[in-house]
Amino acid sequence: MIERSPINSPMGRLQGLWDRPGFRWPALAVVLILLVVAPYLFGPYATVILTNALLYVVLALGLNVVVGYAGLLDLGYAAFFAVGAYTIGIVHHVYGLDFWLTLPIAVLAAAVAGVIIGSPTLRLRSDYLAIVTLGFGEIVRFSARNLDITGGASGISGIERPWIFGWRMQSTLDFYYVFCVLAILAVIASLRLADSRLGRAWLYVRHDEDAAEAMGIDRVKVKLAAYVIGAIYGSIAGAFFAVNLGAISPESFSFQQSVLILMAVILGGMGKVPGVILGAFIVILAPELLRDVGELRLLVFAAGLLLVMLFRPEGIWPSRRR
Amino acid sequence: MALTDIVLQQLVNGLVLGSFYALVALGYTMVFGVVKLLNFAHGEVYMVGGFAGFIVLSLVSGTLGSGWSGVAVSMVLAMIGVGFLGVLIQKIAYQPMLSAPRLSILITALAVSLVLQNAVLGLTGGRYVPFGADLGFGGVNLGNLFISYNQFILVGTAGVLMLSLELFISRTQYGRAMRAVSIDKDMCRLMGIDVNRVIAVTFFLGSGLAAAAGTMAGAYYGSLWYFMGFLIGLKAFTAAVIGGIGSIPGAMLGGLILGLLESFGTQIPGIGSAWKDVFSFSILILVLVFKPTGLLGRSEQERM
Amino acid sequence: MTHLLQKVAAGLLLAGSLSGPAMAQDGMTIGLLVPTSGSEATYGQDMANAAELAVEEINAAGGILGQQVSTIVGDDACDPQQSVNAASKLASSGVVGVVGGYCSGATLPTLKIFADANIPFVITAANSTQLIPANSGNAFMINSTGNDQVAKALEFFNSKNINTLAIVDQGDAYSQDLANLTKQRWEESGKTVATTETVNKGEQDYSAVVTAIRSANPDAVFWTAYYADGGLLIRQLRQAGYQGLIAVGDGSNSPELFNIAGSAAEGVIAFSNPTAEFLPNAKSFVDSYTAKFGNAPGPYAPLTYDGTKLLAAAIEEAGSTDAAAIVEALKKANFTDGLAGDISFTEENTLARSNFIVLEGKGGAWALAE
Repeated sequence: MIERSPINSPMGRLQGLWDRPGFRWPALAVVLILLVVAPYLFGPYATVILTNALLYVVLALGLNVVVGYAGLLDLGYAAFFAVGAYTIGIVHHVYGLDFWLTLPIAVLAAAVAGVIIGSPTLRLRSDYLAIVTLGFGEIVRFSARNLDITGGASGISGIERPWIFGWRMQSTLDFYYVFCVLAILAVIASLRLADSRLGRAWLYVRHDEDAAEAMGIDRVKVKLAAYVIGAIYGSIAGAFFAVNLGAISPESFSFQQSVLILMAVILGGMGKVPGVILGAFIVILAPELLRDVGELRLLVFAAGLLLVMLFRPEGIWPSRRR
Repeated sequence: MALTDIVLQQLVNGLVLGSFYALVALGYTMVFGVVKLLNFAHGEVYMVGGFAGFIVLSLVSGTLGSGWSGVAVSMVLAMIGVGFLGVLIQKIAYQPMLSAPRLSILITALAVSLVLQNAVLGLTGGRYVPFGADLGFGGVNLGNLFISYNQFILVGTAGVLMLSLELFISRTQYGRAMRAVSIDKDMCRLMGIDVNRVIAVTFFLGSGLAAAAGTMAGAYYGSLWYFMGFLIGLKAFTAAVIGGIGSIPGAMLGGLILGLLESFGTQIPGIGSAWKDVFSFSILILVLVFKPTGLLGRSEQERM
Repeated sequence: MTHLLQKVAAGLLLAGSLSGPAMAQDGMTIGLLVPTSGSEATYGQDMANAAELAVEEINAAGGILGQQVSTIVGDDACDPQQSVNAASKLASSGVVGVVGGYCSGATLPTLKIFADANIPFVITAANSTQLIPANSGNAFMINSTGNDQVAKALEFFNSKNINTLAIVDQGDAYSQDLANLTKQRWEESGKTVATTETVNKGEQDYSAVVTAIRSANPDAVFWTAYYADGGLLIRQLRQAGYQGLIAVGDGSNSPELFNIAGSAAEGVIAFSNPTAEFLPNAKSFVDSYTAKFGNAPGPYAPLTYDGTKLLAAAIEEAGSTDAAAIVEALKKANFTDGLAGDISFTEENTLARSNFIVLEGKGGAWALAE
């Protein structure tokens, strides 16, 4: 399928350059420096938007483990995001446990949720899996809306900001850098996962389940691992999302949210870390940049999305290892 | 109300709601059967169908009136118009993507749905548009049970449409071709079947049925809104999967089952309207755990 | 390579435009946080128009502290996440204060942003009681809160000898809060809640809920959410033969309700903030609004107009654009030039009096009840 990524397009050339170490490392350094100075260059509003984009980088990389690496369609990823956010909201805010002690609980809760959702359903065909995950996502959202402990439709507000080494994360700038660190950690973890034993197992399973099974790969176990790892990404993102906004409500974890994250993954190019990062930035920045277009900004966004997919059907930064 | 009245009334409610779900679910299932595409823009096609019916009705109501005859004509014309819209969507957004990864088509489908939604939002300014049909409130009273004439006509029309579809698929040449294409596209090509044409017909029929549902919804509920396709699209997708996606009787059955689950879920103490969707999604998951291909779906080998 | 560099440069320029409009050089800017897109866009546009009209009048009278005033709109789309972005955009555009806030759910997360940025915020429509504890002192609610609404509703139900009540909400922050509050107070007063129901926005078919309500046989049905789904519910309740009283909260006081519910809305009771047609002082406001924008002002236009004037008066009073001084002036405000009545605040920064009126659907429009 190599012929599908046109070498002559600007993106193709960039991808080609990217593969050369002589270009990659200086480019990475530039990106890192840009990340650090961006708030000073662009001001506080852009800092908020970029923080949001970095949050989506983490979420999209998490969903990429499920969809891109393991090839499982998930339409309810916001459920894991919600599990993380609400664990913080309930255990940290309502019961007053320290944020850093709550974080492992959030991770554990998401992993358990991943097993609960994954184990009965992973034998299903992918389209059925899609609807089951959608159903779970909606169940989580409706439960958050109806229960008292989750604060009902108003959710939980006034969540305290965490301390770290005597320093309190408080301003938008603080959280921008927190999300920078999270995004970088997510990128490193994703790259290492792709090259790990598990990563190769996912590749086998994605391409030919039967053959993979014949090679001695336990496909259910391998798929479940993808679910659990994806869930952990989502819950960590959710935990920091909760302390950053200070308020969470069920509307933040809707089906549209799951779709937006999925859009980031596919738009950029499933399975490739740079593509997914690009996708996350596009789905967040494009509607904001179009704010001046006014009421029709989503129309313009959607038309652009359609054009991008028609011209680059495998995403903007497609995987070459297919 | 006595318990039997309540049960019967909820049965009627569930059947009416289920008829809408079934009509929309058919479009999902037909398109999936033939091109293996989850057409996420289908709910928006239903919405556009409602507006198309509204436009036709405002044109013909002068001569035909805004009663059932006017609505029937608007429904048929909306079905034809929106059927072609479906074909157009397929040509622009799906046809060029057929060799791309399947998930990429999901994004074009979402993009199409956003385009349709926001175009109508722009045109209506986000306001509710009164449909303008005048169907009267008459009906049959059976003790405490009340069934309006509109409900009879609605369920009847849905039944007739579904029956004609079933006949079309089982008896006509196109129907046979559709079934053949759903089994093996490449083989069909070798056999000299114009696969693209069959796909176009499939989109035409699916979109037409959604438009019928949209027009009837406008007439029955009384108003239209740019976002009205979202929830029903989600529900119809669920219904199609419960029934077994790709199976036409399955979509009808799934639609009715989901409608009944929701209406009875609303009534059952301990579930109620707040939890009814949790209830129906839980049943969906249980169905799939025990019957992984849906109620009437057939199992098939998967290739991603 | 040059191509690439050009592209990178273009991207940076694009990103630069994210940083929003530059700080106003001279004159001052008032931010408007309203939904101008999405399902509540008509309300939001209406509020923006009213604020613009107020600003025009302020400028014609010499501005605030001798400076001309301009407005900048932040579109919250009635969505909590979008509202955070919109509020950040306003906060970083150097506004002296913000007016608006329609959807309570979308207003809630912005309170912290305006508090952190130290910007006075006059909330002109959103009135969920959830907003009160989340306020850190710089926000002021000039629409009566849910507490006042529930008091008015209970008073009305009691006057009509209602004993059993069905309460229906839409599962969002505003309507669930109003429903819970009503249920609590109603049961405290020794009356019975026959059933509570929650519907989903945009569901269209409420027949199952209607049957559930009819089987509970309440004296009255109280719809606590917005007009769109409320219109459909009212229509379906009446079509199914429900004969009792139907009342709606202030989210349903839009004339659009009559478009959706048709003749079924006859006799429906609404507890409402004062809208322009029922305000004796608002005559000239209605005229100039209609002349300028081509349609009559909607339900939250007078309050938003008042809110803008109130903010201007507070800045004059403070004598500077210093946020702390403006907040202090607002706390002590005794504003008597309002279309919708006098404004002064409680300890919690909520309106000191209840402004709720009772409306009744008559001949396809709202009229004062009784």
